[in-house]
Amino acid sequence: MRSFALAAGLSLSVLALSIGGSGTAIAAPAFPTPLPEETLPSVAKLPAQWPASWVLIHDFRFMSIVDGRIAVVDTADPVRPLKGLVRAAQFANMLVSPDRGEIYTAETFYTRLSRGERTDAITIWDMATLEPKGEIVLPGGKRQQSVTYPHLFQFTNGGKWALIANFTPAQSVTVVDLAARKILNEIDLPGCAQIYPTGERGFTSLCADGSAFSVTLDDKGAAASSKTVLKVQDIDRQPLFGTPAIVGKTAWFVSFYGMIQGFDLSGAVIRPLPGSFSVGSAEGGQPEWRPGGWEVIHADAAGRLYVLMSPYGKEGSHKDGGTEVWVVDPVKKARVQRIALKGQSVAIAVTREEQPHLVAARADGVVDVYDAGTGAFVRTLGANVGANPIMITVPR
Amino acid sequence: MRFDKLTETFSRRVARGTSRRSLLALLGAGMTGAAAFPVLPVARAASSEGGHGAHPGGPARPAMASGLEQDPGDQASCDYWRYCAIDGFLCSCCGGSVNTCPPGTEMSPITWIGTCTNPADGRAYVISYNDCCGTSSCGQCLCNRNEGDRPQVRPQSNNDYNWCLGSQSSVYNCSVAAVIGVALEKTK
Repeated sequence: MRSFALAAGLSLSVLALSIGGSGTAIAAPAFPTPLPEETLPSVAKLPAQWPASWVLIHDFRFMSIVDGRIAVVDTADPVRPLKGLVRAAQFANMLVSPDRGEIYTAETFYTRLSRGERTDAITIWDMATLEPKGEIVLPGGKRQQSVTYPHLFQFTNGGKWALIANFTPAQSVTVVDLAARKILNEIDLPGCAQIYPTGERGFTSLCADGSAFSVTLDDKGAAASSKTVLKVQDIDRQPLFGTPAIVGKTAWFVSFYGMIQGFDLSGAVIRPLPGSFSVGSAEGGQPEWRPGGWEVIHADAAGRLYVLMSPYGKEGSHKDGGTEVWVVDPVKKARVQRIALKGQSVAIAVTREEQPHLVAARADGVVDVYDAGTGAFVRTLGANVGANPIMITVPR
Repeated sequence: MRFDKLTETFSRRVARGTSRRSLLALLGAGMTGAAAFPVLPVARAASSEGGHGAHPGGPARPAMASGLEQDPGDQASCDYWRYCAIDGFLCSCCGGSVNTCPPGTEMSPITWIGTCTNPADGRAYVISYNDCCGTSSCGQCLCNRNEGDRPQVRPQSNNDYNWCLGSQSSVYNCSVAAVIGVALEKTK
């Protein structure tokens, strides 16, 4: 291999010499010294601790779902916003642990790309090199494949374990020991979906009848106890988007119609917080303002909620994206600000910088950055980080 | 044609409730749940800018007529009557047809069943939205309608799941919209 590379290199220089013959004549005066030789091979590395302006953006790649990826993006760098890519194949899910310097992707592969033997696996990627450093094969070929919902793959047990959703269409959750790189157990769900880490070691799923199902796990990853909490949502009248904003151990969900409901996830069993409230209303709706998009609610470090809103709210509009972000204080239960976006956006997130920024991924692939405090537009990253940015993750 | 929510909701209920189709309804609602394919909300959002509420199907292309007076409309258009609850790439544009998968793919045995009214004869037909699997995303004639779509806690009414289930490969290519029966005994 090396000798081949050397030979190729030599022939290239010979070629360069032969075609450069006439060029040498015009060289000299202005630039007496040639450019220095550059060292090869050369592969970039990332800082072990990423700056707080960096986020992970899931590029779902609708036109080639087997080739999805996660973009590492510096929202403060409009010149080189894309810092690198991590593979996220075939309806993948992703987790990130800055403490351990690791990214985890849960993916599905076939031995012949689109056919052959199926392998589901979690791959562990180094945050500094973006190289894989291990994998955990998931049994049964039943990992749930959906458009990106982050609550299909979540940490528990202080981040040492992961929980991953299965769908065959029977629903279950596989418990994985990330540190020991092994599968611990599988928990069957009674018609429930999504995984919201609950307590120190456990999770809650939301069920088709509007109830919630909370499970605690023992030290082997088996179910130690479970409890159903009835009527945590009215799916017919006030369905909740599946992806909440997480503030500490509180999950803030928003409904299709703009009602915000909090849940306390600190104990072994999910506890709905009393007093749901509206994100508010506004003039100009056609027919009305509603939340819309794929990642429609996010929180800043202070616990304020950012909700992506569309003036074209009606039945079926809930994935269409929004043109404003409404900032809500969940303590006052009141809207405190409206931020007009540059374009129809589908995903929003707020960075944990000292001066936090609101990052909005648009339907056309453009990523825009706003001052989260004032709402002022700061910069655009252009459509330069991925084809279908659908989910923004702020590492923390 | 355009479907309003009431009609669609009603029709779906009929699809599940009609005794003739109770087995199918059971399969549709219990065993599998919902819709053909996933997402594309983002892509749809991109293409619907300025035309909110429309059902864009992508770049302009010549119409595909069935040739049957009783089956009117453009089978390459998201507004074609059978697509009232479809979600994905239309197989008509991918080498297949409205009821046939493209060559080289496998038709998923698990399907989402909807009910759409044929404007020509006024009948409500049970439509099977089988996914075609084993070849990568077709990429042509994207059609996504979310009327009646609900969160993933209700799989039978959520179109974000990949329904290439029970097939040899879960890689999604496109979706068909095949007539598998009449939902109502009488014409409307």
